[in-house]
Amino acid sequence: MAVTVKTFVSASEAAGALSSDRTARYLGGGTLVMRALNEGDVSISIVVRAQDQALTRIDASGPRITLGAGVTFARVLAERDLAFLHAPARSIGGPAVRNMGTVGGNLFALSPYGDFTVALLALDATVAVQGGFGARDIPIEEFLQARERQTGTLVLSVSCTRPANTESFRYRKIARIKPKGGSVITLAAHLPLSGGRIAGARIALGSMAPTQIRARAAERALEGRSLDAATIAAAASAATEGTSPSDNALGSAWYRREIVGVHLRRLLSGQE
Amino acid sequence: MLELRKDIFADERDDNLKEIGKGTQRQDMLGHVTGTSSYFNDHKLQGMLHLKVVRSTQAHARIRRIDTTDAERSAGVRRIIRGTDVPVNLNTLLSLINFGKDDEPSLAVDKVRYKGEPILAIVADSEHEAFEAIAKVKVDYEPLPAVFDVEDALKSGAPVVNETYPKNTFIYHDVYDHQRLRFGDADAALASADHVLEQRYQMSPIEHAPTETNGAIAAPDTNGRYVVYTSTQALFFSVDTCAKILDVPSNTFHFIGGTVGGGFGGKVDTLTEPLAILGAMLTGRPVRYVFGREEEMQYGPPRGAERIYIKDGVMRDGRVVARKIRAYFDSGAYTRLSSYAAVKCAAHLPGPYTIPNVYGDVYCVFTNRTPATAMRGFGVTAMDFAIECQMDKLANLVGMDPMEFRILNAYRDGDMKAHRREAKNTALIECVQVAAEKAKWPIRDEFRRASSRKDGGGSRAAIPPTPTDSRARPAAPAQQRTSYDRAPVTATREPPRDPPPPAPPPPPPRPAAPSHGATRFSSVFGTRRR
Repeated sequence: MAVTVKTFVSASEAAGALSSDRTARYLGGGTLVMRALNEGDVSISIVVRAQDQALTRIDASGPRITLGAGVTFARVLAERDLAFLHAPARSIGGPAVRNMGTVGGNLFALSPYGDFTVALLALDATVAVQGGFGARDIPIEEFLQARERQTGTLVLSVSCTRPANTESFRYRKIARIKPKGGSVITLAAHLPLSGGRIAGARIALGSMAPTQIRARAAERALEGRSLDAATIAAAASAATEGTSPSDNALGSAWYRREIVGVHLRRLLSGQE
Repeated sequence: MLELRKDIFADERDDNLKEIGKGTQRQDMLGHVTGTSSYFNDHKLQGMLHLKVVRSTQAHARIRRIDTTDAERSAGVRRIIRGTDVPVNLNTLLSLINFGKDDEPSLAVDKVRYKGEPILAIVADSEHEAFEAIAKVKVDYEPLPAVFDVEDALKSGAPVVNETYPKNTFIYHDVYDHQRLRFGDADAALASADHVLEQRYQMSPIEHAPTETNGAIAAPDTNGRYVVYTSTQALFFSVDTCAKILDVPSNTFHFIGGTVGGGFGGKVDTLTEPLAILGAMLTGRPVRYVFGREEEMQYGPPRGAERIYIKDGVMRDGRVVARKIRAYFDSGAYTRLSSYAAVKCAAHLPGPYTIPNVYGDVYCVFTNRTPATAMRGFGVTAMDFAIECQMDKLANLVGMDPMEFRILNAYRDGDMKAHRREAKNTALIECVQVAAEKAKWPIRDEFRRASSRKDGGGSRAAIPPTPTDSRARPAAPAQQRTSYDRAPVTATREPPRDPPPPAPPPPPPRPAAPSHGATRFSSVFGTRRR
């Protein structure tokens, strides 16, 4: 059977087509779906597209920002008000990939990809999805835990609160090939300060488990403390807790476990 | 600014060339920058079908049964090609020059020898339908013990990878399981050297990673001929390889090559053309067979991995007096071009240095890994890496500057090389001097004054007494005839000599070919007449 392409004007129609057929896959920028088709993925027989303007909207004026699922990384980088997301956006692929790849698609990118999602996880983003039962908002952590079951739902947008200042949100991608390589480990940390102490720390890791995950033990080590050497050391030594990395061509599980603490320490202490 | 030392390289280049600094346009550049260069895959022919192969999921296994019942009924499938459909389903690339035995099937029949080996080809209306049919093929494997390490493969009791070569090594001149170089008495020199340094070097396979993956489109033409658009970087080599595998005269094909989207040695193996043409022969339609990116990376042939042991004897004054090398080329499951790489490697020992005692054993080994092939300087690159690492370590060991250490040991005009050929036009000393100067690396006056043209020859031109290996010489069996041979072999045997081992002269390519009468030795062919 040949692959059918269905293009819809509205996102809700596309969502309907997506949820009604298990072999349907939504095509955002195509950097994942076209690659899968070219490599012979026979689980896809319908490609669903939507031309809804809402999917490419950026709302970055207020304290809470919203990115349409179809917003490309090139557009994130062109938006001055989204400076805090420039580092993760720039760490993805080369210019061609950033010009096509979308924020929504990145939520489905398997390791060693999905770096932007690591940043969104640290920022406690909310994912707006449209499924068979209408639209709803899901916390990103919950979305990722059930990601395998999400292929029938259409992501409409992602929103998160802007970090209070540039110091409180940090991002670091470890890659062997720069600037375009896949991730050995990706780290993001949101460290809001309240009276000199960290309140509500969130640390997210990519390529350390089947999906992007939070380093909860490291977060606990930071919570309520000031960001000094002892705190950073405690967080770094707790970095591997709850992780389950796997081997791939970029690095072994052992190597990832060995270096994740080192890179977390550098991230938290502001080292290059 | 590039500078050519005419005092050293007097005869190396025509002085009347006036290209540098002129901004000459490469002939293919306009097409590349305007996106109009034509590649093989730019041809979309009417009624074109698409071919994809079923690849082995096992590194080493007997094939018990292949069930294509569901695949045959799959939508869009035009033809399923099995190994038995390939007219000559056993080939080795260098059989075109009578080197090596046929050892590789186009489609595996009874056994798979590496993960990803092609078993079936499916021709369908679209790539997607071919992939859907592939998913429906059931192959029943009986897994066999596999070997992935070159030295493990040589141990007794190791699994036999390729029955054509039961010792897991390529056999040279029908007799020798490795390439040997013996010059002087390396063991004696090592015993009397001030320092001995033994090191192990291990390389990894390297993928050529071309932008354009391997592929071909074959289309029936008039008069029973076939037009083939191909990515090959060795057009006539591919024509003859296809003629052999498909058992037709080579003028059956009109190969159209041209722009290669990145080759580097990875597009000489002629992996896609025979099956694309066979698909066109069996369906009467144009057939396209192109590797996907993962196929290219995983199953496209890489530069082979090499393991190299170097044991050097060096005197306190910095002279290297002995070099003993054992090298293993990982050919993967089939020969392709690695047999030739081992020959080149042996011919390169001991590097550009005059060392009075050299001992080399170079093996081309079969393992259950992806077959290796050519890649820029293969056979020499890895060995040079090992030798130059070793030179730095030796310099450190005797407390000498590494640049001066190389000048001291460099070969000079008139020296005897380990292959018993006089060194000519040597220029390592001058290269090191220039490198030191450009890098502002201080070297002492005596080394700055050294020259490749001075102090060579004399005692350095002598061939030292060389003990013969004690191992009994095996009797040479009659030369294997490949199915490609069309002229009858009239073998006139010469008595074996040592070294090098002679092989009977191969049949001339055409019976009426003029012979110049002179006999020369070729490391590939053995003794042959020109």
